[in-house]
Amino acid sequence: MSLRSYVITRLLLTIPMILLLLSIVFMVVRVIPGDPVLLHFEKYADPKDVERLRHSLGLDKPLYAQYLDYVIGVLKGDFGKSMQDYSPVAQQIFSAFPATLELAICSIMVAVGIGVLLGVRSSCSYGSVQDHAIRAFGVVMYAIPVFFLGMIFQLIFGIGLHWFPTGGRIYPMLEPRGLVVKMVRPQGGFPSVLIQSLPAALAALVVAFLVLRKRRVAFRPRGFSIALAAFLTSWLICAGLMWHYAGRGGLRLSTGLYTVDSILEGNPVKLVEAWRYLFLPSLTLGLVLCGIFIRLTRTNMLETLRLDFVSAARARGLKENTVVYGYALRNAFLPVLTMMGLQFAALLGGAILTETTFSWPGLGRYLVDRINFRDYTAIQGAVVLFGLMVALVSLVVDVLYAYLDPRIRL
Amino acid sequence: MKTKDSKKGLSTTVAVGVIVLVIVIVLAAWYLLAPKAKVEALIMGTTDSVETNIDPAEAYDFFGWEIIQATGCGLVQIKEGTPYGAGEKDIMPSLATDWSVSSDGLTWTFNLRKGVKFEDGTEFNATHVKYSIDRGMSLAIPEGAFVGIGFSDIIDSVEVTDKYQVKFHLKIPFGPFLSLMASPVSYIVNPKYAPFDSTVNYAEGNARASCPNDLGPYTLTNWTRKAGKDYEMRFKANPNYWDKASGLPRSKELIIKFYADATGLAMAIDAGDIDVAFRQLKASDIESLKTKTNVKVWEGTGAFIQYLVFQEKIKPFDDARVRRAVAAALNRTALCKTVFLGQAANLYSMIPNGMMGHIDAYKTLGDANYTFTKNTLKELGYDETNKLVVDLYYETSGHYPQSADQVAVIKSSLEASGVITVNLHGFDWPAYRVKRGEESMPAYIYGWYPDYVDPDNYVYPFLHSSGSSWLHNNYANEQMDKLIEDARATSTTSTRETLYGQIQQLMVQDAPIVPMFQSSAWAVTKPNVKGVYLDISQVWRLWLLEKE
Repeated sequence: MSLRSYVITRLLLTIPMILLLLSIVFMVVRVIPGDPVLLHFEKYADPKDVERLRHSLGLDKPLYAQYLDYVIGVLKGDFGKSMQDYSPVAQQIFSAFPATLELAICSIMVAVGIGVLLGVRSSCSYGSVQDHAIRAFGVVMYAIPVFFLGMIFQLIFGIGLHWFPTGGRIYPMLEPRGLVVKMVRPQGGFPSVLIQSLPAALAALVVAFLVLRKRRVAFRPRGFSIALAAFLTSWLICAGLMWHYAGRGGLRLSTGLYTVDSILEGNPVKLVEAWRYLFLPSLTLGLVLCGIFIRLTRTNMLETLRLDFVSAARARGLKENTVVYGYALRNAFLPVLTMMGLQFAALLGGAILTETTFSWPGLGRYLVDRINFRDYTAIQGAVVLFGLMVALVSLVVDVLYAYLDPRIRL
Repeated sequence: MKTKDSKKGLSTTVAVGVIVLVIVIVLAAWYLLAPKAKVEALIMGTTDSVETNIDPAEAYDFFGWEIIQATGCGLVQIKEGTPYGAGEKDIMPSLATDWSVSSDGLTWTFNLRKGVKFEDGTEFNATHVKYSIDRGMSLAIPEGAFVGIGFSDIIDSVEVTDKYQVKFHLKIPFGPFLSLMASPVSYIVNPKYAPFDSTVNYAEGNARASCPNDLGPYTLTNWTRKAGKDYEMRFKANPNYWDKASGLPRSKELIIKFYADATGLAMAIDAGDIDVAFRQLKASDIESLKTKTNVKVWEGTGAFIQYLVFQEKIKPFDDARVRRAVAAALNRTALCKTVFLGQAANLYSMIPNGMMGHIDAYKTLGDANYTFTKNTLKELGYDETNKLVVDLYYETSGHYPQSADQVAVIKSSLEASGVITVNLHGFDWPAYRVKRGEESMPAYIYGWYPDYVDPDNYVYPFLHSSGSSWLHNNYANEQMDKLIEDARATSTTSTRETLYGQIQQLMVQDAPIVPMFQSSAWAVTKPNVKGVYLDISQVWRLWLLEKE
């Protein structure tokens, strides 16, 4: 099977998987005792009002009708409205996701960085004091409750040393805006936009030229026409985009990831602040997760280091670091990659305890919060997103497998 | 060969090192030269959040009201630091300069302050008062405070008698009327932003459209929610505030940051990330913060109470003697000491300690009075071999403070009598809420926060047969109903005190509900913050906070 058809098959298989997940969640949230409607009434609940609210939330319909409504909505991309505050679930999840993503990326980097390095060190010094120390460290980290470690860090670095804030995502008033370019449509109309975008088009032409040179495409006549086409298309695209955004008052590019946004904004103060807020939660989560990576790397490295090709590489006089990191680690890395994918997907579902400890406004807190309101639509939406993330990440991991180990055919 | 290799390695290392160094220096210079934003505002941290919105017609939660009080204004207000809460002397003029009540107690007349301006320059007048009250009553949001407090049972109509005079015609004489007018429910909205036929909800990225109030000390300039949860609120001093001349609000800018849990909030104030931490802090955190010099801990009177409810539909709790026997076995002192480390007070009446009319009614039954419990239960056929079984239900998702700890102490104190067995059943709030309506819990724990600071609000919703329908405990006593209605109908403080005394004695006789404790109120600030008032009124006055 070619890579492309493999990816397409996997993507198609995701659909029934998500539907199955959706159906299970749909049932489970309705089976647990509790009623999202009643929670709107702290004290007096006039039965008529209760019925009215139940009707407006669509909860008075038979179960199969609710289910069909929901599935049809999801297929159309509509995740419904929250049963707690009636705002669109997709919008709420979207506003929580960047925070979770940023934390997930940073903590997986910490976990893999520390875990793999220590795992390799440990396997290279098999049986020594260093090996035992690293293994003990891994076990302790794995066993320690994340909120406990988080609180220890808050006490030391936040309260004791005042280096890092104890919670939140950024200092008030310092949220990065991302890249904001103000533009207005010039008086000369579209022709003057064409002239303004000429430099960009010329740059595209130079790039095209360089690429063609490198690929050794014969310059005439095919290469010439390609370059001309590239030049004209990119000129028109640039001008069109400029015209479009100028009509809307300018271009605003923001990812919701505060580190990226502050770089886009070009504001170093905000970047440093974003890092300061990100540091403790990522370190906490990363350290707790690194235990698994230490053990996994160590075990696989021990096996790999015994193999013939490692001895052969050493015999050829390669430096030890090259043998260990360039040859052995690359072969021992596959299981680590799988674990990395799984952990990363789990992190995207929100690190509930870490997010709570550090008041991090992410998906984990959202989900727990909504369970406490029996907010059916919100819980369903969050779980579906979570399912999608797991599916996508495991697909990416499989593709990376093929890249890392050419023997694997997908 | 070898030497060549290592030389190459060395030069690469040096090159990489130099590049990294240059990058670091450039970045550091960039950072150091960049202009630093200074935040002069007062920053408050909280674990509260706005439950629905900040529209007086719908908001019915502590924090929503806190924001309405900061951004809006009512006809009257409760004086800060008041010890008593509900007496005539505790009410101060606000948008009304003076007022009077007719001799039958059915008509209240308010003369309004002149020259008060809304944000858009419109002058405040009597029509705005009528608009605000009529709007809340006609919207009648089922989950809202107008319905919850029962405005339509109290107010008949609002009449504009002059540009600056308004009359309230009541259906019943209602003693606590001024307290009701001081409550954020009765705050005046700006008709321009508060349509008559719909409530004002949170609008993403538009603080003005999210807030119908603008006569108060602060203007809401920014309100962000992330993942459907409050993330940050910002306020600026309102340039049109009527009492601006007194230097209000004391801080020109105010920021509220929201924390996920009590521990996070305690950490933040301890680390100096915020200037003020208010609600909710855990007893143990407060104990440890008290010993520190980098923060100041403020203690005040709380109005939150918790109590034990008996389901009279379920035998044997239909018998007042059984209920009294259980009540006598409660050990309130142990509860307050063990669970709340002394930061809550024993409560022997539904009316909180310190409030008008309060008497220690349940003290006649005593605390951990096992002799009484044993003797009473013996008459009913319960003894050491045939114990009374109490199925005690409680809430586990943090809706009330430390519920699981509380019931553990209650269980041990009841079982110490030797004639009672307690089975504990915990449910999270949504499930608990359903069970209340099903009337299937023989004994359960509930809490109460006042809607307006008056003994009526601690008696009518619990002991009056129609007022307590929400609690589903099936208690009804005609004599009790009559006493409560009489106490509502008069505004003479001495008469009301007598009536509340009788009500509380009858309450102990029937024992449908057993009060357990009253929480204290806590705020923690940096040492340079002043203007903190934690009085019985439960108003958290954001506009009085200031950094020195």
